[in-house]
Formats: sequence, structure tokens, C-alpha cells
Amino acid sequence: MPGGSSDSLKRRLLAGAVDDNVRAIRNQPRRRLYRRAPFPWLLAAAGAALVAAAALVVVALRSGAPAPAESGAASVATSAPAPEGLPAFVSAPPARVSGRVFPLAVRRIAIDPGHGGGDQGTRTSSGLREKDLTLDLARRLAARLAAAGFEPRLTRDSDQRMLLADRARFANDAGADLFVSIHLNWIEDGRANRGIETFYLGPSDDPEATQLASFENRESGYSLADVRRLLDSIYADLRQEQSRAFALAVQKRLLAAVRAVAPEVRDRGIKSAPFLVLVATDMPAVLAEVACLSNDEEARLLGRDDYRDRIAGALFDGIAAYSRSVAQAEPGSGSDKGVR
Amino acid sequence: MSAKEKVLSVGIDLGTSQSAISTSAGAHHVVDSYVGWPVDMVARKVMKKPVVIGAEALENRTMLDLHRPLEQGLIKEGSEKDLAAVREILSHLIELATEGNRETRTRAVVGVPAETMRVNKQQLRQIMRGMVDSLIIVSEPFAVAYGIEALLHTMIIDVGAGTTDFCVMKGRYPTEEDQRTLTKAGDSVDDLLAKLIDERHPEVQFSIHMVRGWKEQYGFVGEPAKRALVTAPVHGKAQKVDITDAVRAACESLLAPFTETMLDLLAAVEPEYQEKVRQNVMLSGRGSRIHGLAEELEKALVDLGGGKVRLVDDPVFAGANGSLAIALDADEDDWEKVSA
Repeated sequence: MPGGSSDSLKRRLLAGAVDDNVRAIRNQPRRRLYRRAPFPWLLAAAGAALVAAAALVVVALRSGAPAPAESGAASVATSAPAPEGLPAFVSAPPARVSGRVFPLAVRRIAIDPGHGGGDQGTRTSSGLREKDLTLDLARRLAARLAAAGFEPRLTRDSDQRMLLADRARFANDAGADLFVSIHLNWIEDGRANRGIETFYLGPSDDPEATQLASFENRESGYSLADVRRLLDSIYADLRQEQSRAFALAVQKRLLAAVRAVAPEVRDRGIKSAPFLVLVATDMPAVLAEVACLSNDEEARLLGRDDYRDRIAGALFDGIAAYSRSVAQAEPGSGSDKGVR
Repeated sequence: MSAKEKVLSVGIDLGTSQSAISTSAGAHHVVDSYVGWPVDMVARKVMKKPVVIGAEALENRTMLDLHRPLEQGLIKEGSEKDLAAVREILSHLIELATEGNRETRTRAVVGVPAETMRVNKQQLRQIMRGMVDSLIIVSEPFAVAYGIEALLHTMIIDVGAGTTDFCVMKGRYPTEEDQRTLTKAGDSVDDLLAKLIDERHPEVQFSIHMVRGWKEQYGFVGEPAKRALVTAPVHGKAQKVDITDAVRAACESLLAPFTETMLDLLAAVEPEYQEKVRQNVMLSGRGSRIHGLAEELEKALVDLGGGKVRLVDDPVFAGANGSLAIALDADEDDWEKVSA
């Protein structure tokens, strides 16, 4: 026999296979292998510190005191106190974890200006290029966020080409709490049509959304195997639900801001689509098609400073609204529910 | 389960080209993964059955709406007919295994490509609902490893028609990082061989089924054991054609990706075990019978200090037998968790 074998080894392997199946049946993510910590004592010390900190927060919550305030514009509500005599973390069922369990402030925002370098995105006959406009909008948004105490991080701050994989990696490495990718739409019959739509990660039945996703994914830098792994990992992800709530918040503010100037702008809604830049990021993530460059009137407005400022302001409002809602309500519920 | 209930354990290798089943009653069956439905009343009258499966379907393909429902080891997406075809193949295999005895309780383990997405596994689970009482889905190379008890410090390379699966057995149920799936496999060789024959012998008439047969008869890498002289029609007249060079070029297209993946996975093994794994590389699957493949892979290991690449004894049933071994070792508790 090549290799080695024993009954206990077989038992362990079988248990692994059954566990993998049970997780698939229950729609739970696969177990992941984590590398052994180089310094176990350090991990133990960090764990002890975390438990102590959690205990302090529980005590603070029970005494009615607010949770430690986070800096910045995001105001954070405290979670409901645990039932008498039972620590919240003991009674938690093994089912999906609610976002309310983690009343953390949103602070660091990754802003991704779509396209760049040789990848111009869409462009008008008058020479307006998507890559320039998205960078301009991203910078305006970053300035607003920084002024409000958030920590904006731009995936690119110059006219450079970046693979989608690198954009996602940047956001993950930066430890961003939210990810916003800014794009401009191009609708084939767009001379008459104009509209705003915001995407969050997930499968799509909409052929138009799928086509758009495949167009945006073409410079991904991911292999087929990578994509399979990534999609599998988000299949039952809480992040998908949070991203949907985030998309709702952004879409609602964008629509309100733009319709104040151009009432005829269509609400193309929020949609799920497998944009790789959304799939590969670790935090709630949206891709906003903030305007329609194929529409002449829209293109004219995008050439104006005040209009771009308006869009950046709407994006900021969406981020701030989502941040406020994080600890107040279940993701996906709340005042934004009326928006498609 | 009552003590009186009969239980039949089955192991299934659901393959792109062939599907095999091994049962606890000692039966072994293999069918070509083709399903055909008679195209009209005349065909139905000739075939005398509503659906035709396996080699019979292939032989009578001119009268059938023929489907090969698996592509790269996965159920083709978006086609109801292909889903129905997979159901027919599995149902046919189970029927062969139970010999029509529906009172038997059937427990199945099915091997699928290593990087199959969860959504595909769930699709498979849905298809098999009602056919079997409990179902465990495992990665195909894991099933092979289990069957030959190569559970520790071993690398399995399972060369199928749609995919080639690599898996390093490290004494645990394989994680994503222990496995790779390549789409360079039997089908990709067939496609390239057909292209090369067409380029070099444009006058020769052939079908992809003929090409597949020639590859299976003459496939080799390195030095040929014999010239590949095949008979094919040229302007309707049967002629001998020498396709040796084309066969070599097509089969050798596997070497670079195989070598690269093998070395990549080896490099991820903990250093103290790399030597053991190098000495225990096992080739399985029908594609492993390409003459000289094991020797060429061994050559790739020379620079790392040498290694041994061996063939499993029964490439057609290695996956099904391994799946059966898992089914037999799983206990009542395991099966209860994975009821179909």
C-alpha cells in the first residue's frame, strides 16, 4: 500500500467527508484550513485579551452605558442586552449569524474607481472617458469621507491599469469595512434611456446583468479554478445579505440626488450579479453604475463639476446611511425596504 | 433502520465519458455517459424504447437526440434535457445495481471532480433524490485514494475525459489547497488530435468518436511503442493513414500542465513529507493509460530528487471501488446525516 493507513485515519477522513456533505446540505460554507500560528502563546494571549474585552462590553451594555464610541460620522447603536443570566454567546444557535452580533462601526472604506490605464471603459464621442470620470468621482467621495472621519482607501489614485484581483486584494489587505466600485453605464439604446443601478454580489438570472458582469470581469486576473473557489465560498455568505442592504442604501440616495436635477432618470434598481471584484472582496461590497454615459444629456451633465459633486455626495450619503443601520437593524430591513 | 431491511451500498464514478458503479453485492457496471431519445415515431419503433443509454445510444446516434450531459465533469448548465440525461444515467446505474429490487435500501457514494462547485453538488443531490436513500458526494481523487488505501503522503492524479484531478492526501479530508482540477484531460486531447489530423490529412473523413477510439488505442507520449496506423475513409474509400505524430503531439499537450500542477502541489506539502509524496504518485482514470505518461512525469521529478509514478490496477473502476469502500466504512450515524 502506498502511503499509510489505519482505522482511525480512515475514520477521520470519513468524518471529514460527511461533514463536508452536511455543510453543503445545510448551505453552510466549507471548513477552511487555517495555517498553524507561529506563536501559539501569542494567540492564546490575544484570545484572553479578546475575552476580557468582550466581558467589558457585556458589562457596559447591561449597565446601559453606550458601547465605546467610534470616531467618524458613523454612529453606532448598541445591541439588545442578553437575556438575564445567559451570556449572549452561549445561547447563540449554530445557524446564520446576524450582523447585530457585531455592533462594530464602519470606518475604513475601499473606493474602487472602475477601469484605468489602457482600459478606458466606456467613452463618448466628445472624449469623456469612464476611467477619468470614475477616478474624479472616487476622489470627491474620498474627500467627503475623510472630512467626516472615515478612512477612505482608493484602489487606484492615478490613471493606472489594475486587475480586478488586485483591486479586491487591495481592499482585503487594507482591512476595509466596505467596498464601493464606481462605474458608468453604457446602454445600447441609451440615447433615449438613462438610469442608475447598483449591483451586489450573487448569481443573476438577468441576461443583461450577466452580460455586464462578464464585460467587467474580462480583466480579472483569476483562473477558472479561482472563480469556482470564490463563488463556492460566498454561496451561503452573510456578506451577500449585507451587500444587498448596502446596495439598497446607495441606490436610494443616488436616485434621489440625481432625480432632483434630472427627474426622467430611471430607477434600474439593485441587482445581484457575479462581478468578480465583488466576489473576491471580504467585506460588504457594491458596484454602482452611477450614471449612463451613453445618454447625451447625462454625458453633458457629467462634464459639470456640480453634477459629479452631487453624485459623490449621494454615494457618501449611502455609505453613511448603511453605516448607521449596521447595528440598528437586520441587514436588508429598515427604511430602505421600499426601494427595489 | 430495522435489522431486517436489506441495504445495498454502491459507489459511483460519474464521469464525462463513462460512468461506473460498484456494489456491495459484488456487481460492477460501466456505461458510456450518453443518453439518446428517439427523434421521431420511426426511430421509436426501431429502438423499441423511449430512451437509450450508453454504447447503444452512441451506436444508434443517427436516430437519436443524443446527449452527453456532463462537460468537464459537471452537469451542463441551463439545459433541462441534459439534467434529464444525467438522471437517466444515474437511474440506469442504480437499476443495474439493484437489479430492479426496489425493496433494498440503497446508500450511495458518488465521486465528482475535485473542484466541483457546491451548487453542482446540490444539483446532483436533487437529481438523486428518490433514487437512493442516502448520499455522500466526495471528490473523485479522494475516492480513488480511499479505495487503494493511499491515505497519507500520496498524490493521486485522476485523468478523466473532462477533467484531470490532482489531490495530495495528507491524512485529512482534502481541502481546497490540497486539490486542483484541470480541464486538460481526455477530451482536450481528442479535440487537439482531431484538429491536427484535419490539418495534416485534410482528405481524411472522421468523427470525434473515431478520434477518441484512435487515442485510446494508440495514445502515447515520448517514444511510440508502435506506429498509429488507422483506417479511415478518404473520398468514401477506406485507406490506411499514419497519425503517429499527431497522436504524440496531442497526448504530449498534457505534459506541461500536468507537470506544473504536480510540482505546484508538491511544493505546498510540508518539507519533511515531500520526499514521501514524490515516491507515491498514483495515476488513475482512463487517461492514465496513455503510454509513457507515468515515465514522463517521473522525469519531471528528477530535478527535485526523484520520485515514483505508478498506475492504479483498475483505472475504470478505481473511482467507483473507492466510493464503495467509503460507503461500506460509513456507519449508521454518518448515513443518517446525509439522507437523500
